[in-house]
Amino acid sequence: MSTDMRDVRVGGSAVRGTVAKSIVTPSDLGEASYVLTQAASRGHAVAFLGGGTELGLGYPPARVDVLVKTARLARVVEYAPADMVVEVEAGVTLAALQKHLAPHGQRLALDVPYPELATLGGLVATNGFGPRRTRFGSLRDSIVGVSLIRADGARVRGGGKVVKNVAGFDLPKLAVGSLGSLGMIATATFRLHPLPETARALRVAGCDGATLQAVVRDVTARQLEPAAFLAALNESGSAYDAIVVFEGFAAGVDEQQSRFEALVTERGLRAERLADAARATGVDEEVRTYGDLRVRLSVPPAHLTALERDALAPLARAVAEPRAVTYPSLGIAFFSGYAADVAGVANALAAARRAVEALAGNLVLLDVRDRTIADRLDPYGTLPASFFLMQRLKDRFDPEHRMNPGRFLGGL
Amino acid sequence: MQTQPAVGDVAAELEAIVGTKRRIIDPTELRTYECDGLAGARVRPLAVVLPETTAEVAEVVRVAKRHGLPVVPRGSGTGLSGGAQPVPGCLLVVLSRMTAILDIDFENQRMRVQSGVINLDVSKAIAARGYYYAPDPSSQSVCSIGGNIAENSGGAHCLKYGFTVNHVTAATVVLADGRVVEIGSPAADPLGYDLIAAVVGSEGMVGIVTEAVVRILRAPELTRTFFATFPTTDEAGTCVSQIVAAGIVPAAVEMMDTLAIEAIVKSTGVDWPLDVGAALLMDVDGTRAEVEHTAAAAVEIARRSGAIEVRTPKNDAERALMWKGRKSAFAAMGRISPNYYVQDGVIPRSEISKVLREIAAVTAREGLRVANVFHAGDGNLHPLVLYDARVPGEEHRAETVAGEILKICIRYGGSITGEHGVGLDKAVYMGELFTDSDLETMNFVRCTFDPERTFNPNKVFPTPRLCGDVPGTYVAHAVETSGSAGRG
Repeated sequence: MSTDMRDVRVGGSAVRGTVAKSIVTPSDLGEASYVLTQAASRGHAVAFLGGGTELGLGYPPARVDVLVKTARLARVVEYAPADMVVEVEAGVTLAALQKHLAPHGQRLALDVPYPELATLGGLVATNGFGPRRTRFGSLRDSIVGVSLIRADGARVRGGGKVVKNVAGFDLPKLAVGSLGSLGMIATATFRLHPLPETARALRVAGCDGATLQAVVRDVTARQLEPAAFLAALNESGSAYDAIVVFEGFAAGVDEQQSRFEALVTERGLRAERLADAARATGVDEEVRTYGDLRVRLSVPPAHLTALERDALAPLARAVAEPRAVTYPSLGIAFFSGYAADVAGVANALAAARRAVEALAGNLVLLDVRDRTIADRLDPYGTLPASFFLMQRLKDRFDPEHRMNPGRFLGGL
Repeated sequence: MQTQPAVGDVAAELEAIVGTKRRIIDPTELRTYECDGLAGARVRPLAVVLPETTAEVAEVVRVAKRHGLPVVPRGSGTGLSGGAQPVPGCLLVVLSRMTAILDIDFENQRMRVQSGVINLDVSKAIAARGYYYAPDPSSQSVCSIGGNIAENSGGAHCLKYGFTVNHVTAATVVLADGRVVEIGSPAADPLGYDLIAAVVGSEGMVGIVTEAVVRILRAPELTRTFFATFPTTDEAGTCVSQIVAAGIVPAAVEMMDTLAIEAIVKSTGVDWPLDVGAALLMDVDGTRAEVEHTAAAAVEIARRSGAIEVRTPKNDAERALMWKGRKSAFAAMGRISPNYYVQDGVIPRSEISKVLREIAAVTAREGLRVANVFHAGDGNLHPLVLYDARVPGEEHRAETVAGEILKICIRYGGSITGEHGVGLDKAVYMGELFTDSDLETMNFVRCTFDPERTFNPNKVFPTPRLCGDVPGTYVAHAVETSGSAGRG
């Protein structure tokens, strides 16, 4: 559990150490809109809090006059099983939503850590994803509609409740990953997927970076379609255990399993079947919620070996109790551990960032407790060339910079 | 007509950039460019430019800026909503000569192309290695990647694979001041706001995309196709719902009604029966055993839903012919009607039968016929309202019907466009789908990129919207309400 969550629970009024002058927990969207309208008239800065699972992202807020908690905005607004679309209020947790959908044989294809805490509003704000991104994409790929409460309190929406829709600018995807800096994410609408008839997980222990890359190539070449593909740094601290999950109808899953086993055997490795497929990717949550230091790295997937060699391995040497999980086919990695030697860790993080940025990737700090490290390292790294457009976008949506001020990229 | 700037000065500056062969000012030659795939009004641009590089596009845009000319970007000109229709006195920047494939990166499953590259040419360039580009609008043999980006094009297979916005990872964009900016990233999750989402589907209003990086996918191991006929669209609609309820995610499910089948048969010679009420054309793809299982299950569901006949192609050639039939449906309408008006409304899939009946009623009331051929899996209708422009009043009645259809779609909780774009054609209906505040917020995005509204100034929004002052960065404004968007 992150320090930030403790901040919120214990103090009840702080976001990343910035104390909120007041806390509001609106009971419906009308109240939320009223709160933002009042904040606008007073020039108040507003921050938003869902489950608090990703509060370590970005800069500490420049100021928080009003902290809006979405806990009571927990209604499923509309669920049409036949259309496989659901609209929820921001405070609905992922676990609650999945429970709502399961009796209809459906799910939101999203598997993030702490599903019982993480809210859909927060997941929109941070573009949530887990290992099933391999097959289903991130939240960005499932969202079809959004309603926002703007800085001026106006309730607006974009997209809709049909899966195919190109009317107007894509406000839903602009809200994705915006960290509440464009306004309050009030509701979101998603396309759903059927729950699979069967799921099966296989583990290939002891892969190095090059082997992982080779297995990714084989899986693609042989047209296998895993639902999830991840690799977790094992106890050796240098090798990875790859975990592949196949989902679908039993006949298809059986076939994919046997073909995967065959390709692994050809590489001189062995695939073992994991007893509990549902928990097979649990290591993802373990790594992503571990330690007092968490970062995310991404590179073009062909650079997986370099990512492992030039970023993850040096980080693992610098950090105590290192944990890491990568999504090899996507070029994404999560790294966590304890920052014992603060100066060494800061240097290692800076070096890892240089390495991934040289590969056209990025390293984002997800949660860094130690102030000296946080002070030495930007949460995001080198600004993209298109940052001037992002500044302009922020200025249009939130001209007074009152929506989660200072948290987002470049201090937006 | 409004007064146009002296074409001479502009022409000379354009010639300095692209020479005389790639700029068009002759009124006769300009006629080709007076409209896109949306029939109807024709507007002559001041000049047409055919650049070949990003640098040329940037220079051309600077010329437009110096002269205060609006700029309309155009790809292949196949759009059906008037998105590439010129505005009076504009520079029409035609990207059709920018057809270079710049990089194919199989390892990262990415391809960098100039924006004039034809959709199907992307797949053709990588087919030998077993890869393809997923978005497949029916016009894919002629439409361009840049046009697809402008419209966020879909196609039959977006049901499973998503739309253009899910398949573009980076782009080079020329802004209104001639500045060239790269957005997106070769790695997952570029930092900051999702500018790709702002540009894809922006209908030419934010800049000119000159290059794009698209995702290329490994082809599925197996695709099974079947064609099923039904007594009416009701049974066909039930079949689609049952297939989805069975947990099957088809790659594509297309529906055609009697009139559409008739037109396709007359036009392409496929041997489809004419005495049926509806037909479904469906693809299931993926790994072999999974596909064999789901295809068999889907066929069984079709039979149970009341299918008259289920056909499966014996080979790839037969399969290709079935799809050719479907994809040539719009063009085939010429065989049964002198003119037609196509709509692109979307409805929740479960309402298909009800909505088709309402559409039929509205059409009959106006004394016209409607052919339906559409993406049933995602509820994206393409009603083709048939009329004869030579008969006084018919065109007007067709337009009335088309408008009614969109209102029906809105009433059922759907959208006015699933893949063709709003453009000029449907701008007037945006105000029925969205509130004024919604539209104002969308205008924030446009103003972010193009505060002076240089690009495609009269599209999408139902009433002219100005951008107001450009707020200075990091300066808190005491602007009234949320500030920046005023009304024109």
